[in-house]
Amino acid sequence: MSQPEPPGKPGGGGDIVWSIIGTLVAGVLAWGAIGWLLDRWLGTEFLVAVGILVGAAGAFYLIIRRYGGG
Amino acid sequence: MTVLAQREGFQAPGIEEFEWPNLVDLHLFGIDLGINRVVLQMFLVALVVWLLFFLAFRTPKLAPAGLQNVMESLVDFIRNQIVLENIGPDGLRFLPYLTTLFVFIFFGNLGGVLPLISFPLNGRMALPAIMGVSSLLLFIAVGISQQGFLHYFRNALFPPGVPAPIYILLTPIELVSTFIVRPVTLAIRLLANMIAGHLILSVFFVATGYMLTSMNISTLFGVGALLFAVALVAFELFVAGLQAYVFTILSAVYIAGALEPEH
Repeated sequence: MSQPEPPGKPGGGGDIVWSIIGTLVAGVLAWGAIGWLLDRWLGTEFLVAVGILVGAAGAFYLIIRRYGGG
Repeated sequence: MTVLAQREGFQAPGIEEFEWPNLVDLHLFGIDLGINRVVLQMFLVALVVWLLFFLAFRTPKLAPAGLQNVMESLVDFIRNQIVLENIGPDGLRFLPYLTTLFVFIFFGNLGGVLPLISFPLNGRMALPAIMGVSSLLLFIAVGISQQGFLHYFRNALFPPGVPAPIYILLTPIELVSTFIVRPVTLAIRLLANMIAGHLILSVFFVATGYMLTSMNISTLFGVGALLFAVALVAFELFVAGLQAYVFTILSAVYIAGALEPEH
């Protein structure tokens, strides 16, 4: 935050870290919940784990797309 | 509780430090609107914040001095470091909201290190939760008014430049991350910091008192604990300001995101 940023551009730094953590948590939560609901509906037990992995993968994809340079 | 109270030795303060009985009982439509110590402290903080601004800017002078000078520096800090840096000149209309947020959170947290009060207002979920939701509603309203209803939600839920089938994967994540994780993390980050800080201070001061009065070898350690406790008060003062700053700056970042869609 010590480096002055050009105005009008979202500042870099701590907020990006929080955004990345938030996206990771959201991915795991969203797809974990979907997996859990499917488990309850289908009477299976493994879809919650699949959902968590899918969500984490999706979150990584989003983060890399958004902040991954290039 | 009675069983615990009868036990010998040191009793570490726990989460019961955050429970206060109602001083005035008031129930409306089955909702407990009773007034306890925390509610009184909330009224006090609101009054103090109002008084500070009222006294500082009642008769503003061109060359500010005293309280006006202090409060102007504060508003300047939020204007330059938070609003202009994160939103840009467009964001100046949110300066009143963000300033209020910062000052109210800071004075709420300050109660945790003030003698006689010794309780951080934001150590109860109600206030962080309400402030988290108000920031959520604000950035949604900003997004809708700036980009239009459909456009805002399309930008928020469907990040551009992604092959269509991937949206099945990404849209639930964006939905949860923008509209649930954001307000929840705002509230929990503040709440957890205040709970942890208050517990640490309680444990250190209760332990200091216990050791100093135990009249054995522990009394020596009590001196060290007292010094550490004083240092922790200074640290909690820093955390009080830091958490107010973090809450405010993240609210500003979310508003900035709603003003300008991702490219």
